[in-house]
Amino acid sequence: MKLDFEEVSVAGLAKSYGPTLALAGVDLSFDAGMVTVIQGSNGSGKSTLLWLLAMLAYPTRGEIRYGQYGVTHADGLRGRIGFVAHQLQLYPGLSGHENLLLAAKLQSIPYAEKRASDLCDALALDEYWNRPVRTYSRGQAQRVSIARALLHEPRLLLMDEPATGLDAKSTASIVELIEQERQEGAIVIIVTHEAKFASAVSDRILHMDRGRIVEPEV
Amino acid sequence: MRTLRAAWLVALKDLQLELRTKEILTSTGLFAVLVVTLGSLAFYTDPVSSPDVAPGVLWISILFCGILLIGRSWALERENDAVYGLLLAPIPRASIYVGKTLSALVLLFAVELLLVPLCLIFFQIEPSGVMLPLLALVFLGSIGFVSTASLFSAVGIRTRARDLMLSVLVFPLVAPALLASAVATRELFAGATMAEILGWMRILTAFDLLFVGFGVWVSRYLLAET
Repeated sequence: MKLDFEEVSVAGLAKSYGPTLALAGVDLSFDAGMVTVIQGSNGSGKSTLLWLLAMLAYPTRGEIRYGQYGVTHADGLRGRIGFVAHQLQLYPGLSGHENLLLAAKLQSIPYAEKRASDLCDALALDEYWNRPVRTYSRGQAQRVSIARALLHEPRLLLMDEPATGLDAKSTASIVELIEQERQEGAIVIIVTHEAKFASAVSDRILHMDRGRIVEPEV
Repeated sequence: MRTLRAAWLVALKDLQLELRTKEILTSTGLFAVLVVTLGSLAFYTDPVSSPDVAPGVLWISILFCGILLIGRSWALERENDAVYGLLLAPIPRASIYVGKTLSALVLLFAVELLLVPLCLIFFQIEPSGVMLPLLALVFLGSIGFVSTASLFSAVGIRTRARDLMLSVLVFPLVAPALLASAVATRELFAGATMAEILGWMRILTAFDLLFVGFGVWVSRYLLAET
């Protein structure tokens, strides 16, 4: 059963990889209908924060709450989380269409084909829809990855450098999709280095350095 | 039910990828033919002693083909970090393990269907009366081996020492099942009937249930978050 939530909060969140401290105690909350952009230099802990929020890694310390639920409800929460990672997490031997359908079936979406087809139109994927992903450019694969993250209409949408490799037209369509998700009440958290893209989509911008939030701008 | 449905989707995806590329079947099949050919050339002396040598060659071939196949199957998950696409889905972690094990078993059986007759031909063993019990033995022996190797390959997704881990942990763990399979095969080639090797088959079935059960139970932790 998919669980719903209106807010995500983290308290004292820390993550170490051996001796390396990737996150050093982060306290934040994210509300429905809000787009948060996180910026910072390489290794500042931005991507680690996204991986923890996606429940692909356990925190070393601290807590993440998805509304009233904690990570012990991971199975129910995963159906409400969409994640566009830097590595695109697609099967290169499958086409974009097949990758999306597999994700849709694993998400138990009853109207999978229609939802996939709508996203194909929205992200202009149709010209390479049936080709194996290994023949795609970075930008094309990125768009399929974004489509997969949106497939199950997530409440929490996490995006790691979503505009990387995209041309101006594709970036504009991503901005439009993010705006649509925001209006539908999604909690959107984006890690990006691209200042223009960040200012186009964000309600607030946070800066991270050495595993901490150093500069909130609302 | 949810676990089985998701496992079926994962297995189907693997088989779909393999049907498209035929990469695993080609490399593993050629390797199997090579091992049996080399084994028959190196160890064959006469039709009387060949049934003593053939079980060893057959099971060594199955062992190495299995390791090759399972390694390649999990490598597909590491490419592009694709496995995290599965880990993001709201499915039981065990279903990923069951699905990968299922697809690896189907592919290994396909290779074994080539390997078994080839072994009988090269070692001049009369197939009548041997073929069916041998296929049953190969089937049972492969389940325990593949389920264990799949489990450790799943762990290997997050570690660089995956090959070392396979050889250090998997071989000792599956040794009892492989030894039982090899001894049962030797007795079969020496003229034992199906009824006479039934005891070995029961042992293999017990190993299979133990390995699969342990794999399903522990995979939820091994494939969980880091």
